[in-house]
Amino acid sequence: MGKLGLFKARHLVSRTSIGAEWETIQRYKNLNMRDAIIHTLNAVNYETPRMPQTSAWSKTLGNRNSMARQRNMQRMAKTEGKAIQNWWANHMLTTKSPFLERMTLFWHNHFPSNIDGTKQPSALLEQNQTLRRHALGNYGNLLFAISKDPAMLLYLDGYKNVKEDPNENFARELLELFTLGGTHYYSERDIKEAARAFTGWSIDDRTGKYRFRPELHDRGIKTFMGKRGNFTGEDILKILLKHPRTAETIAEKMWSEFINTSRPNPGYTRQWAQIFRNSNYDIKTLLMAVLGSDAFWHPSNMGGLIKSPVELTIGTMRALPYRLRTNNLSHNLSLMGQSLFAHPSVKGWDGGESWISTQSLMRRSGILTNLTRGNLRKTNDARMMQHMPNCSDEELITWLLPVTPLNPLPTEPGRQRLVRALVLDPAYQVS
Amino acid sequence: MDRRDFLKYSGLISAAGFVPEMAFSATGRSPEKIVVLVELKGGNDGFNTLVPYMDDAYKKLRPTLKIDERKVLKLGQGDMGMHPRLQQLMKIWEQGDMAWVQGIGYPRGVLSHFRSMDIWDSGSNANQFLDDGWLTHVLPRVKQGLHGISVSNDGGSLGPLHSARLNSVSMQSPHMFVKQSKSIKNITPVNSTPALAHLTQTQNQLYEVGLQLREKMTRSLRNQKRSRSKGVLGHSLESVAQMIIAGIDSPVYKVTQGGFDMHSGQVGRHNNVLYQVDHALSRFANTMKQNGLWDKVVVVTYSEFGRRAAENRGGGTDHGTASAQFVMGGGIRGGLYGRHPNMNQLDANGNVAHTTDFRQVYATLAQRIWRQNQHPWQGHQTIPFI
Repeated sequence: MGKLGLFKARHLVSRTSIGAEWETIQRYKNLNMRDAIIHTLNAVNYETPRMPQTSAWSKTLGNRNSMARQRNMQRMAKTEGKAIQNWWANHMLTTKSPFLERMTLFWHNHFPSNIDGTKQPSALLEQNQTLRRHALGNYGNLLFAISKDPAMLLYLDGYKNVKEDPNENFARELLELFTLGGTHYYSERDIKEAARAFTGWSIDDRTGKYRFRPELHDRGIKTFMGKRGNFTGEDILKILLKHPRTAETIAEKMWSEFINTSRPNPGYTRQWAQIFRNSNYDIKTLLMAVLGSDAFWHPSNMGGLIKSPVELTIGTMRALPYRLRTNNLSHNLSLMGQSLFAHPSVKGWDGGESWISTQSLMRRSGILTNLTRGNLRKTNDARMMQHMPNCSDEELITWLLPVTPLNPLPTEPGRQRLVRALVLDPAYQVS
Repeated sequence: MDRRDFLKYSGLISAAGFVPEMAFSATGRSPEKIVVLVELKGGNDGFNTLVPYMDDAYKKLRPTLKIDERKVLKLGQGDMGMHPRLQQLMKIWEQGDMAWVQGIGYPRGVLSHFRSMDIWDSGSNANQFLDDGWLTHVLPRVKQGLHGISVSNDGGSLGPLHSARLNSVSMQSPHMFVKQSKSIKNITPVNSTPALAHLTQTQNQLYEVGLQLREKMTRSLRNQKRSRSKGVLGHSLESVAQMIIAGIDSPVYKVTQGGFDMHSGQVGRHNNVLYQVDHALSRFANTMKQNGLWDKVVVVTYSEFGRRAAENRGGGTDHGTASAQFVMGGGIRGGLYGRHPNMNQLDANGNVAHTTDFRQVYATLAQRIWRQNQHPWQGHQTIPFI
């Protein structure tokens, strides 16, 4: 296997990192494909910066249960919500393990819980750590952890799901979004029966952690996916992990994350799903298959993905010496449609082509214009150039764009002018 | 063409079953009819919006949620009444400009928000997956240029207007659009990857629509008075009214009111969202009337599904199937259409059977508004509300 070279190294880095950092590309271009992927999967550091102060569950419980104090809850959730959004955005900006954050974001979108739905930023921070801990681990463990995660129990009403009054919300999304996918592979009856099995999964008043309340659990016989038994929630998860669709659902999401914006090609995703199941849901094994596939490296897929607002904004700031004047990164992400911890629905962000609407495109162009503005001034020149790679114009274009530029290049000379033109080129918006 | 002529004409067409191929309007001219789609997101409870206040099954299934006969706004037809918060819209009903379509849904109703909204947006069957919004099958043959504008707070989804074959844009407001699109350069769409094709097509539309809005609206936006509309829907519809008055050549607008998914504590929340709908739509209707445009507009509401017939223990309702929606405008033949679903006959999930297919509405709009006989819903009978 030959060395990757600049073009392929930038392809791998731009799709696995947040922004195509020059140093990483330089390291990878002399590696072969397999070694570069292995390095990507393994060079991870799980540390995070100090987290913001948030109100504990025991403190908010009183407000939560009082109609009169809903306004207090709202205010607390809003203030603390902003703090955790900024915390994560800044971590993504400064982390030495961008691939880990990218995958944490991937799972944050697969298992969304949001500020509005939970009104408990402390639980969202906990969930964020859980997602990071399992991001490159085992999907079965992740699914179990998230099903008992307090933020998820809040978001999909699991903590209200009791024997006397089963709540279907979590069971429905578990089947439709987290495992089997779609609405084809199960019946309404399966949802109802699964909901019964999850009754009694609750949150401890004092610690705010998961707690099983046996007195609220329905011990009766359930019929789920053609099987009968006095199933518990754990039994339901085990049955779902045995179903071939669960691995396929994840493989299809990997397609949209790493390959292109078209419908997943079942020729690939079924094969990846098989590999995933055979490895007992080892996420790194699946990623190895995805990143090593010819679909990933096919020239027709270069420029086949649309950069998410996180990639576009934070990626630009990581790869180039551009900074926002004020620290309103997470606010800017919201304007472009990727508000962290605030997905529009339990389905998460649709991603792909839906990142680009006329409305969001104006915002995306706006922020790139803002980032690259001002640095054209002479006074910044030297400082800016220090942080630019020492390479030819051709290499610079290959580095920053996955396809040839769509706009004509500037006729006036100057590295900064060229970089600005490339960042503002429509081709910069794809990966 | 005035309203009576239009009705006669459309009646003639359906009798003959034939429509002459005609260019609706050239780019730049204001379309003859303007359809405003109002998405009620989350699944609106049809039974508490258009209330069967005399139905014994309704009263039995909803011991705490039922709306009392004394409070309901009686239509004077079919023992049906409107939710008490729809006071302003009641006036439009009394003027004969509002049509209620009852029992609207589709066979084997899907209870997932996302999937069911996809079905409504694309006009598909329950087991069919279509990518394009349903308007793709009509609008390209009706006119060239701009096909639709979606106005929402978050610049949300295009829904029925989503398609590579439609020129449709999303915006927060024309004010923001004009301001932010100024720096956008024109680009010739490319096809190298689907992602780039979508991106460059969007940029091209952004440029074109920005141009038209700046040309037609710069003055009216400058003289704009402070908004007196309330809520997201109120602001969105105010934007739509501004664009219609300015003569923007969009044949369709889409706006959204969210917050209809009420699994618990429904009474107060439903009162609130229906008040928003009432306030926003009645203001919109008044603005259109003041500008002599009420005969031109057709407002159509839709929602991914209705709610379950019986209330749940949390004082809310779970996902259901059939619901009631309304159509209004100066050219609408007011009245009750379709049958109220039988609330005595529920399926295994406790849901009613639909009585009107939602694609009957699409077929009606396609044939009677856009005068297209070639469309995918020809098997669905039109509804004579226009």
